[in-house]
Amino acid sequence: MKVGVCGGLGLTLVLGVASGCSTQGPQPPQLATQVCTNCHGPRGDGLSPAFPRLAGQQPAYLEAQLIAFRDHSRGDPTAIAYMWGMTSQLDNPTIRQLASYYAAQSPVPGVPGDQTLMAKGKAIYEQGLTDEGVPACTSCHGADAEGKDNIPRLGGQYQPYLVKQLAYFKSELRGNAPVMHAVTYKMSVEQMEAVTVYAASR
Amino acid sequence: MRVLQRSGTGITFVAAVIACVLMVGSNDVLAVPSFARQTGLACEACHTVFPELTPFGRAFKLNGYLIDNLPQVKEITAEKKETLLLNWLPPLSVQFIASYTKFNTAFPDPNGGLSQNGTVQFPEAASLFYAGRIAPNLGGFIQITYDNNSDSFGWDNTDIRFADQATLGQDKPLTWGVTFNNGPTIQDPWNSTPAWHYPFSQTSSLAPPQIAATQLDSIGNGTVAGLTGYGYWNNLVYLELGGYAAAPHGIQNVPVNSTSFPDGSTVHGLSPYWRLAVQPQWGRNSFEVGLLGFSDQVTPPGLNVSSGPTDRYRDTGVDAQYQYLGDEHILSAEAIYIYEKQTLNATLPQDPSNTLRSLRVGASYFYQRRLGGSLGYTATTGNTNTALYGLTSPPAVFVASSTGSPNTSAWAAELDYLPWQNVKLALQYTLYTKFNGSSSNYDGTGRNASDNNTLYIFAWIAF
Repeated sequence: MKVGVCGGLGLTLVLGVASGCSTQGPQPPQLATQVCTNCHGPRGDGLSPAFPRLAGQQPAYLEAQLIAFRDHSRGDPTAIAYMWGMTSQLDNPTIRQLASYYAAQSPVPGVPGDQTLMAKGKAIYEQGLTDEGVPACTSCHGADAEGKDNIPRLGGQYQPYLVKQLAYFKSELRGNAPVMHAVTYKMSVEQMEAVTVYAASR
Repeated sequence: MRVLQRSGTGITFVAAVIACVLMVGSNDVLAVPSFARQTGLACEACHTVFPELTPFGRAFKLNGYLIDNLPQVKEITAEKKETLLLNWLPPLSVQFIASYTKFNTAFPDPNGGLSQNGTVQFPEAASLFYAGRIAPNLGGFIQITYDNNSDSFGWDNTDIRFADQATLGQDKPLTWGVTFNNGPTIQDPWNSTPAWHYPFSQTSSLAPPQIAATQLDSIGNGTVAGLTGYGYWNNLVYLELGGYAAAPHGIQNVPVNSTSFPDGSTVHGLSPYWRLAVQPQWGRNSFEVGLLGFSDQVTPPGLNVSSGPTDRYRDTGVDAQYQYLGDEHILSAEAIYIYEKQTLNATLPQDPSNTLRSLRVGASYFYQRRLGGSLGYTATTGNTNTALYGLTSPPAVFVASSTGSPNTSAWAAELDYLPWQNVKLALQYTLYTKFNGSSSNYDGTGRNASDNNTLYIFAWIAF
């Protein structure tokens, strides 16, 4: 039984799926509102920097990650601890439904970080690092870090989450994006910190 | 471990009830690999370090232990209503606790000598759990425990609940449910309340019992069973209301006698329980503050149940819990204060009004969920009443109060190492500043509070 009530109807509970009550885009899948929200926040807005914001993320990227969790091709520690279990019984239509729902939510606006890091990060983001062989992030992630297709939005994401992913790419703990290992394997911790502060602010 | 009632001659009613403190003080566990098997989630998803819950772990509990990533055995009606949803593999798990306990001074034995000190319990307790989904919207946490002290198995913590989701007010989520459980606060999702208190969920079952403890601190399975309804709104406000009734085990369950059995007391009618809590979360932090209450009416052992006088207890508590969940560092703190008003028309009709207060505070830190520790303080205070707490004849050695005061206070510290998420190795020390009313000669035979100081080394394994 799923019951729902919208504002204005007081405490009356009515049978049926909650509808038309200020959600954005497609109806939230039951999984999203009952399970995913506990870590990723309502509408994927985020709750704790330990778990990435999903609101406004590229749908193809979300779909690819859910599949990668399910088939274990993405195996960073947090993925193993949380997402392998979460996705093991998800079928493809459900994955697509979840991805569409979160993609349709408004992304959380980026927040500027430390000025020095921002300046350094902007340079890396827009021009890359020649000595370390790091291409400009804009070439794939876009000028506003909005992402495209199966390349993720970085803007508005939790900076601690982004920097953790770069570290995982560098160490190959996260192995489902070989291009990111090539990008990061010569980056220093300071460079990762700076570029993610800038990207998250977009 | 909340399993078995202690019985024995020479122990007053109060001490007998409060001997349950021995049980409550040890082996309270919420973490079970059954859930890991059912959900596919590693322990850290729901726990900081077991048995303490994370906000996600609390959500899992309030949602009926239902999140499930195992293949299911299913059945549906023609209207697509699910009538069966069984995990393909049962979510069973085992826990095993082995320990070494040593007191500062050995206890006196009945022959005037000293009893053995520094003993190993292997196991001190071991449990089998079924924890997880039972049916669509119905889940349970069911525990059976072997207790070393009684060398027997007994029924332990049980919480079976129906849970569902709704929305209330502009799309705000409401998790609501009904729980059927065998002790107030077993169903509570926070680790500040007595049943799952943390830190120091696990303490030595050999530790001497305090002469008094509040109802909330001591009542448990073997005495009552209850039904409560709850709602958790917008991941912020929690409200629960319900009641408990007598649910004795064994021969006590068969109404063959109008007199309350000598081994236990009889709880009358419906004992109400209520709970209100608010838990804001921000970033990696969560902070809960709440209130709870429980009251019951009891016929002590040996008195007539239907026509005799009764003892009434009313407990009101305030609690708080804070957690910081970092990638490498975890910090948590819990506190609870319970005020109990007693009207003992049966036990002490000449002087029935008494009060008892219990305080528990503790904090823990863990690095990478592998190495850490806890520090805590507990105190029970109450009015001096020599008729209620005073020396019996013959005197109950080392559990008595020579002053008639129940005041007991202790500091505890613990160091933990977890080589793996489901194995905890711990070194714990409890230091009593006061025991049963005094710091020195508390029982009239010369035993000091510090003689009860306890070194407790244990291994807690769950699989």
